[in-house]
Amino acid sequence: MLYINDLTKRYGSFMAVNHLSLHIPEGDLFGFVGPNGAGKTTTIRIVCGLLKASSGSVQIGGTEAAVGTKEMKRLIGYVPDFFGVYENLKVREYMDFYGSMYGMRSRDIAKLSDDLLELVNLSDKKEFYVDTLSRGMKQRLCVARALLHNPKLLILDEPSSGLDPRARVEMKELLKNLHSMGKTIVISSHILSELSEMCTSIGIMNHGQLITAGRIEDIMQQAAGGKRIHIQTVSGMETAVRLLQEQVGVSVESVRENEIIISNNNTDQQISALIGLLIQNQVVLTGFYREEGNLEALFMQLTGGDMQ
Amino acid sequence: MKIRINPIIKKDLQVTARSMRLSWGLFAYEVVLTLAFLLALAIIQADNNSYYSSNNIYSYLIYLFPVQAVVQAFIVVLIVPIITAPAISGEKERQTFDIMLTTCMSPFSIVVGKVISAVIRILFFVVAGMPIMALAFVIGGLEWSSLLYFILAIILLSVFSGSIGICCSSFCHRSIVAVVLSFAIYFVIYVLTFVPLILSFLWTKGERAGESMLFLLINPGVFFEEFFMQIMTGESIFGVAGSNFNRNEVGFFTYHLSQGKTWMFLSAACILALAILFMIVAAWRVNPMHSSSKNISRRKSTQNKKTSKKDQSFVKEDSSF
Repeated sequence: MLYINDLTKRYGSFMAVNHLSLHIPEGDLFGFVGPNGAGKTTTIRIVCGLLKASSGSVQIGGTEAAVGTKEMKRLIGYVPDFFGVYENLKVREYMDFYGSMYGMRSRDIAKLSDDLLELVNLSDKKEFYVDTLSRGMKQRLCVARALLHNPKLLILDEPSSGLDPRARVEMKELLKNLHSMGKTIVISSHILSELSEMCTSIGIMNHGQLITAGRIEDIMQQAAGGKRIHIQTVSGMETAVRLLQEQVGVSVESVRENEIIISNNNTDQQISALIGLLIQNQVVLTGFYREEGNLEALFMQLTGGDMQ
Repeated sequence: MKIRINPIIKKDLQVTARSMRLSWGLFAYEVVLTLAFLLALAIIQADNNSYYSSNNIYSYLIYLFPVQAVVQAFIVVLIVPIITAPAISGEKERQTFDIMLTTCMSPFSIVVGKVISAVIRILFFVVAGMPIMALAFVIGGLEWSSLLYFILAIILLSVFSGSIGICCSSFCHRSIVAVVLSFAIYFVIYVLTFVPLILSFLWTKGERAGESMLFLLINPGVFFEEFFMQIMTGESIFGVAGSNFNRNEVGFFTYHLSQGKTWMFLSAACILALAILFMIVAAWRVNPMHSSSKNISRRKSTQNKKTSKKDQSFVKEDSSF
């Protein structure tokens, strides 16, 4: 869906985006992560045609249209990190205004607005003035506005910024809904726990460079520091430790009273065989589990603890 | 075929119509016009209606028209930059401009929409002032077509002033700076265009203007003066001023342009061309594919400042993972 190829943005000698290449497949919910000044917003603004890249290219949905052209703008729905609303404009008129800016007919706008306002749970606020809505409602309205022209790609820059916890949950549910409807979504955020819960893939940026990108499961495994497994026993501890130390690709990290922690690079089948081996050798297992990847720890590790 | 209205015009008029500012503005405008009318009437009466005066007062009431028109034009010149100068900078301040730029509207359509909505708002005022203006026609013996020409001239003036305002707005991040810059450009166009003429006279000890008057073609003040002279006397200001130019006093072009209505039409064309140029510059300026990186970094720093104040508690929470 979105192909970013060797994208660079320079401000004098400062490289805001440094040779960034990325592919986001159709239907993905992609999370852009990085500390302040990492280049996330700059990248998003370039994709949306709000900023001219120094070099590189952006392609959406296989079209050859250049960034900033009408064809390209039609493919993108953009929700900025900070946005204002007009005083004296009602929700219905707000939607009508932006719909007509995409050249849509009033009749189509009215119908789509009704559906979208229902989707974002604002259908009862149609006749309300936009500036009287809460921040969370405005944010949801902005998402509805961005979807009005049925874009292929929805881009949200820090959608949870400034929202209270309840509004955050509502926003998260809305994005999950949109994703389940097949929309390709790109979100930039600081809130890693939120991203790890809803994204299908993520990319971590720092100092204008994409440090890592991929499926969330893969990143999480990477975060786990090479498949760390906890094995809990009630007897046969010494045998278990000896057997584990003999295995290729397995290293015993720590031995506690009833628990052994190992790290390994084995496949799932090899791990299964390893557990079978322990049971055969009279080691009484009470439990074992794979350590959950910690995205925040990985993020801190990859960005060198660089948070501003 | 259905005519599509520029969405910006529709939205701006919707927002303006609900604002109290429009009502108060119209009220103030009517008051100023009425006072100007009554004052002019009182002066004419005092000068020509005394027992000893042999003048026919009705022949002097024709001057109510230029008085009203000049007052209206003056107010328009003052109001339009105040409306258009915040048009883009206000959108930037309100943080609605980025969203606007991501839509299918071209930067030029956005700029034109802003200028036209300002012109329409000005026409609200001008039309509201028509009944007072019409009094001069009823008792002043002018042709009704003059009223139409006046509206056309006001539209030209509004477009010109609006394009200056929008151009300044595209360069400034703060509305107040844009308004001040607009009036600075006014000063250049309305006042400094006389400088070449003054310098020519000084240089030739008052004998020859050469082609220095051509700069006045872009001066809306001179255009308006010529316009009224043509409407009321059918002559050019250059003729009435007693300086029927001969070729020794002025250059070839100035000599020919000062004949008949040529100056008025050419001046209108120059002013319109300049207005279009201002709008093109504004459109070029707001186009993100052309704008400088300095603006973007400034935008970001402004936003960051706003965030730190407005969403301080949440930002803390965001970064505390």
